[in-house]
Amino acid sequence: MTGYQSNTSVPPATRHLLVVDDDTELCQLLSEYLVPEGYDVESVHSGMEGVERALSGDHALVVLDVMLPDVRGFEVLRRLRARSRMPVLMLTARGNEQDRILGLEMGADDYLPKPFNPRELCARIEAILRRSGNDASALDVRIPGDLIVDDVSINRGSRAVRRGGETIELTTVEFDLLEALLRNAGTVIPRDELVRTVLNRSFSPFDRSIDTHVSNLRRKLGPGPDGLDRIKSVRGVGYQYTLWALSGELEK
Amino acid sequence: MRLHIKVFLWFWLGVVVVSGTLIGLTELTHSRTQDDRLWQEKYGPRVDLWARQETHILRTKGSVALEAYVGSFQADPGVLNYMFDVSGHEVFDRKASTPVLTIVNALMQSSGWTQRVDPVERIIAERVIDANGNPYVVVVDFPEPSVLSRPLFELLSADFSGRPTRASAVRLAAVVGVAGLFCFVLARHIAAPIDRLRSATKKIAREQLETRIDRDVLNRGDELADLGRDFNGMADRIEHLVTAQRQLLSDVSHALRSPLARLNVALGLARRHSVAGIAEHLDRIELETERLNTLIGQLLTMARVDSGVGLERKVFDVAALVDEVAMDADYEARARGCVVAVSGERNCLVTGAADLIRGAVENVVRNAVRHTADGTRVEISLERREGARGPSVLINVRDRGAGVPDKVVPRLFVPFYRGPHTDNNQNGTGLGLAITRRVFEVHGGSATAANADGGGFVVSLELPLYVQGDILHQHADTRPTTEEHGNAITAA
Repeated sequence: MTGYQSNTSVPPATRHLLVVDDDTELCQLLSEYLVPEGYDVESVHSGMEGVERALSGDHALVVLDVMLPDVRGFEVLRRLRARSRMPVLMLTARGNEQDRILGLEMGADDYLPKPFNPRELCARIEAILRRSGNDASALDVRIPGDLIVDDVSINRGSRAVRRGGETIELTTVEFDLLEALLRNAGTVIPRDELVRTVLNRSFSPFDRSIDTHVSNLRRKLGPGPDGLDRIKSVRGVGYQYTLWALSGELEK
Repeated sequence: MRLHIKVFLWFWLGVVVVSGTLIGLTELTHSRTQDDRLWQEKYGPRVDLWARQETHILRTKGSVALEAYVGSFQADPGVLNYMFDVSGHEVFDRKASTPVLTIVNALMQSSGWTQRVDPVERIIAERVIDANGNPYVVVVDFPEPSVLSRPLFELLSADFSGRPTRASAVRLAAVVGVAGLFCFVLARHIAAPIDRLRSATKKIAREQLETRIDRDVLNRGDELADLGRDFNGMADRIEHLVTAQRQLLSDVSHALRSPLARLNVALGLARRHSVAGIAEHLDRIELETERLNTLIGQLLTMARVDSGVGLERKVFDVAALVDEVAMDADYEARARGCVVAVSGERNCLVTGAADLIRGAVENVVRNAVRHTADGTRVEISLERREGARGPSVLINVRDRGAGVPDKVVPRLFVPFYRGPHTDNNQNGTGLGLAITRRVFEVHGGSATAANADGGGFVVSLELPLYVQGDILHQHADTRPTTEEHGNAITAA
């Protein structure tokens, strides 16, 4: 957190948050908590209003509750995703696995079960903003331009993903995940490392969001030329992007 | 066999058998009497003629000539010819049957009749008087036409004149055809609404609660329409109850958690302005809030499992799920120098709510990690079993801890029972194992616990394996999810 606050190059709009939650008292408490952290908080209490305000382009991130009085949070997310790639952090009911998976599948950048610890919320918001901040600046010196592995190519600047000649739509997290995997293609990346580098948060066991992201990414990429998964799970360790050139040899 | 085909075939068979029998019987009775009359008309005058000729030959040419003459027209096999004189003596001394003698006696005694016919025995007797005035009785005994000697087809297709014709074959074919068409429509009429009721029942069972029987069935005005209306009434009620239950769970969850969410944020604010000595109390509040939250979550899970509402059933690999849980638990266990290891059966497809099973397994494995001694192994083994009710998988989770007094073991699964290790158990809500057992039970399995031989404690979880083609699991919507979920976890 402190590290972030020292980063003065981020434009002020990136600290403007939109909170969509029908609990007005909670919204009030949240702004009370977040303003001293350097955020600017706007709250709306219905899904329709949420969609409208989120599409205005005034905010850097949306904190979206799943339970809303008019339309469900997923519907708000769907409408938002149809028009914008703006980062979304979803607040889901604790213990509801389906909500979590659905949210991440529909393109939420992260989720937090409600009730949450406000420190955790701050950390997640920071993590997402830092990631999308990188995205905006596109100043990553390690990988300039295209990264190509077999038939898949990604471009860090435009964040475009192509498989063969075909464009694939990925969410921000999925793109970052794919980039991390491609950069280390052929070697296994431990799960906790993926959580730290891709989700920008410390690894905690029994949190399966990284696996959901991998599963979504697998589905979107489809099987490789040999019909097997492009991303291999390595039991007890983590995930690996398979290189075709090597995969044949490895099997021998 | 399908009801439609069954009803159709039985009706058809019934109609064909009944009409076949009718045609057969008609042919047998009618043709017999018709035949008798025709036979009598045909042979009556001939016998009269033969008798006159025979007596003439006997008188003019003698018995030898008569024998030759009789032999000439007796060429038909089975036709017997007798001649009796006035004393009742057979001219050639041939033995005659009783019916023949009866008819001869009757004719001798009667004065009016010159011919007598016995249509049953097929005998015609003729009384003649020769030129010398000597009376004789000539008897011709025709053979019985054998019914059995006729081909069956001829019998069935025989028309009323006793002669088989093409027309009656066509008639029989028409009966079979028309009956077939009629029976098909009738069977369809009976079976179609039953098919619809059945598919609607299956949909309700798959939680497509908006399913109703449509107007076509309801407008029939028979018992099946009543059944359809009752079905709709039942479906209305179920839909209402389930929706209400679901809404209640969701409302309770929301209502209980909203204050907790506010409490958490308020706590965060309080920490920011905390004065010396208060942090400790705030930690306590945070801990208790967390416990309350866990408890609410577990109560809601319990309610969800018990009501069966919203249990999304999928086919998934429970071995892969155990691997994932073990991997996370292993990560957690390393802090205390412990290891979580999985061994045994691979690829165990089961059907059920994967998130509930995961929660239940996770609960048991984390308990084991908590209770195992520092630097020991928690062993999870998967074992395939062939039971009376099909194959199942047994998941044994064994720790190397102090175990539990034997008399306490059965009570561990009772909700809110607090074990003897109160020091260790402070973080538990007393619902974990109760939920685990309920989850496995609603999936047709079981959860048991015991002190292991050689120390430690073992919890055994059993779950029936998914069998391809099993009616219970043959929901159209379970298939596609297999792959999707499998992708996420199979190779883990």
